[in-house]
Amino acid sequence: MVDFLSTPLFLTVVLGAVGIGIPVIDALKKERGSNNKLYCAIALGALILTIGIVIFRVLSGEVSSAAAFGPGVLSDDLFGAFFAVALLIVSIMVTASSWNYMKGKTNPAAYYSLILLSSIGMVLIAYSTDLVMLFVAWELMSLPTYALAAFSKRDPISNEAAIKYFMFGALSSAILVFAIGLSYGITGTTNIGGTINGLAHLQKDLIPVGLVSIGLFIAGFGFKIGLVPFHMWLPDAYEGAPTTIGALLAAGTKKAGFAAALRVIILGMFVLHPDWTLTLGVIAIFTMTLGNLAALVQKSVPRILAYSSIAQAGYILIGFALAPYSNQALAGSLFYIINHAVMKSAGFIAAAAVATALASYSLEKYKGLGYRMPITAIALSISLLSLAGVPPLVGFWSKLTVFGAAINSGSVVSWGPYLAIAGLLNSALSLAYYVWIIKKMYMEQGPDMSKVKEPRAMSAVLIFAIIFMVGFGVWYSPVLEFASKAVPHFGSIGPIISTGTSSNHLSKPILVATSQLNHIRPISVAGTNKLT
Amino acid sequence: MNELIDFVTIAMVLFAIGIYGLVVKRNAIRMIFSIEIIANAANLNLIAFSRNLHNVQGQMFALFSIAIAAAEVAVGLGIIIIAYRLYKEIDVEEYRSMKG
Repeated sequence: MVDFLSTPLFLTVVLGAVGIGIPVIDALKKERGSNNKLYCAIALGALILTIGIVIFRVLSGEVSSAAAFGPGVLSDDLFGAFFAVALLIVSIMVTASSWNYMKGKTNPAAYYSLILLSSIGMVLIAYSTDLVMLFVAWELMSLPTYALAAFSKRDPISNEAAIKYFMFGALSSAILVFAIGLSYGITGTTNIGGTINGLAHLQKDLIPVGLVSIGLFIAGFGFKIGLVPFHMWLPDAYEGAPTTIGALLAAGTKKAGFAAALRVIILGMFVLHPDWTLTLGVIAIFTMTLGNLAALVQKSVPRILAYSSIAQAGYILIGFALAPYSNQALAGSLFYIINHAVMKSAGFIAAAAVATALASYSLEKYKGLGYRMPITAIALSISLLSLAGVPPLVGFWSKLTVFGAAINSGSVVSWGPYLAIAGLLNSALSLAYYVWIIKKMYMEQGPDMSKVKEPRAMSAVLIFAIIFMVGFGVWYSPVLEFASKAVPHFGSIGPIISTGTSSNHLSKPILVATSQLNHIRPISVAGTNKLT
Repeated sequence: MNELIDFVTIAMVLFAIGIYGLVVKRNAIRMIFSIEIIANAANLNLIAFSRNLHNVQGQMFALFSIAIAAAEVAVGLGIIIIAYRLYKEIDVEEYRSMKG
């Protein structure tokens, strides 16, 4: 049975119809010439309609509470709705700023269509409760972004970025199929809840296979998230791709990768042996340290932002590593994810605005920007300060919740507080390069100090981002509450797991978690479960 | 059961060949081949498990995966054709204008 009134299907239908409709309109149009503004308006309308529907359904209480598993393929829960809101905000910011960025460029219809299709994929990842659906959504997210990264056809840099991004992206999806194959082989199902349940009751001699499968999942998702051994493509791809698409990659696809990782890796680790999450803790420390150190020596602003996004992935991962022990850590991570989505896309869009107006990404061109492009400069400064975690802004509250949870978890898990210490030291380190950019913009004089006309749509997007970062920085409780509600319920079983060492104790929490499924309305697309 | 081990062993060997190709070869099309070999190793795994478990979910997933891999290669080859037009070369060693 297919329930067309559920949020994920509605999103797919609206965004898919508009995404496929835009190129059709383009093909049918008689007069030639770029219709950038028309397509931008259509795409923006569709995205605003869908985010409106998601928020309306959350507020009207029709969305079920966040579930870690579901019996069907998609579950219409708060966890998915949370990521849908975060990712659609990013898509809206990217689409709106493309109003200026795509001006005079070729094929606007394909560009907006690909952004919409990629948004469907990102949103569906967060809603999916079956590995088949997860993989299809993962590819629906990735394939359009390969084409988008190569969108400036005549620009060798864009093409180089796309080739690197494609090679690692395709490898990550191949590894993902392998991982899904192994977990299917040892548990006999592709439903995430079923897989987790199967892993909990695994025979002793099959546990290494389960660990290999989880390790391959970490590699597959880690490529997209940019965790440290798998990050080498990321700065090149984010820098070389058109800058608005850099925002989509850094703020959108990365967050969708976290959604997938949360659904699969954390739960898998959970049941095999919770101590294995120490691996995630170690990866988190390496990720943030390497990202911050490499960012210190860069000369191009999108590249600094790319390395900073590697570092931020490390901070977010702290909450994931502590997920089995602390509910608060996971809520902090989700809170961090939505804030980072806005901060990072604001940073990239400010860089795109500078690129549109001054045709350069080099840090030297940012000298005196505070006078030349006041709105862009103030938005970039606020987003950088927020990324660094300066008090009244959203970035500070995100870091406070994540690091605070890490310190609080010290009573349950001995290595928890060290993650918080590493995170604090890294934040101090990162302040160096963030403040360096701000100093260039406000304290130094460039050779040319004439005022530049700022791209209007981008300024509007940046003003929205400033309002979000400052407004929710002062009044953070609604977002934090939404993030806490979006955490799947398995957190309450944490203490049981952390005391139990043998896998026999672990079967009980899973039963608790699956018994909560009764409250959730199942959505089964194409009846995949009936095939078994 | 022995039959299953044969298939899984072959899949592992294919996986290793794919990783080897990806690490050693620098021709863009060869690299896509290597990725395809990894994807097909995964599909072989899925089908072998599916037969062993008497459960069609794995085969269904393999069909999805084959179709998606085809779409992926189409996008990849498109990007490589543009790269050839720009550089007259498909050796990825040549693509290194960005550093740092």
